[in-house]
Amino acid sequence: MNSLRWADLFVGLTADFHVEITSETMDLFRAMSGDWNPLHVDPEFARGAGHPGPVVFGMLTASFYSTLVGVYLPGRFAVLQGLDVDFVRPVFVGDKLLVTGEVSFLSEAVRRVELKASIRDAAGRLVSKARIRAGLHEH
Amino acid sequence: MNILERVQPIFQDVLDDPSLRVERASSAESVEGWDSLAHINLIASIEKEFGIQFALGELSELKNVGEMIDLMERKLIRK
Repeated sequence: MNSLRWADLFVGLTADFHVEITSETMDLFRAMSGDWNPLHVDPEFARGAGHPGPVVFGMLTASFYSTLVGVYLPGRFAVLQGLDVDFVRPVFVGDKLLVTGEVSFLSEAVRRVELKASIRDAAGRLVSKARIRAGLHEH
Repeated sequence: MNILERVQPIFQDVLDDPSLRVERASSAESVEGWDSLAHINLIASIEKEFGIQFALGELSELKNVGEMIDLMERKLIRK
């Protein structure tokens, strides 16, 4: 886990990490969220909707934006304050994703860090993008 | 357009109230929804809109919107 402090941050600073979506991840998210929409759990239904298999929950992939802020950039001293996210392309079980964030704005007066973030699949295609707002607390 | 008019859409957007109008005497105590997170969002939005930066601790002295606008004017002149 990174432990970046305010003085360590600058506009343009980046961080990234890889993650793989597994069927276990999907099961855990379904159990936790209570979202059992068939597009995400029923292969036949998903194929009927034109997909090769169940579509990964958008909010499951968006949860990696929480990881980006809370573990990587800035890490330990972060508090997530808000985000705007768009889901650009479907993700499927077995996909390997690259989550990337870049500091796009800093406000020293209110200790606000803003990130421009994205998630790409193994082929480099954009699957999700986000504007993230976070704070940095003293500890 | 003066600063008081330019900050109106920022307050309306952050506090999610299209009919809101702040005046120089308005403050966090008098404006509904102006809590600590809204304050962070307001300041960050104002800094981006006007291309200015407030220093750490500079805002805690301010009593109301009018004093914030006066501070913004001084910063904009120095730009």
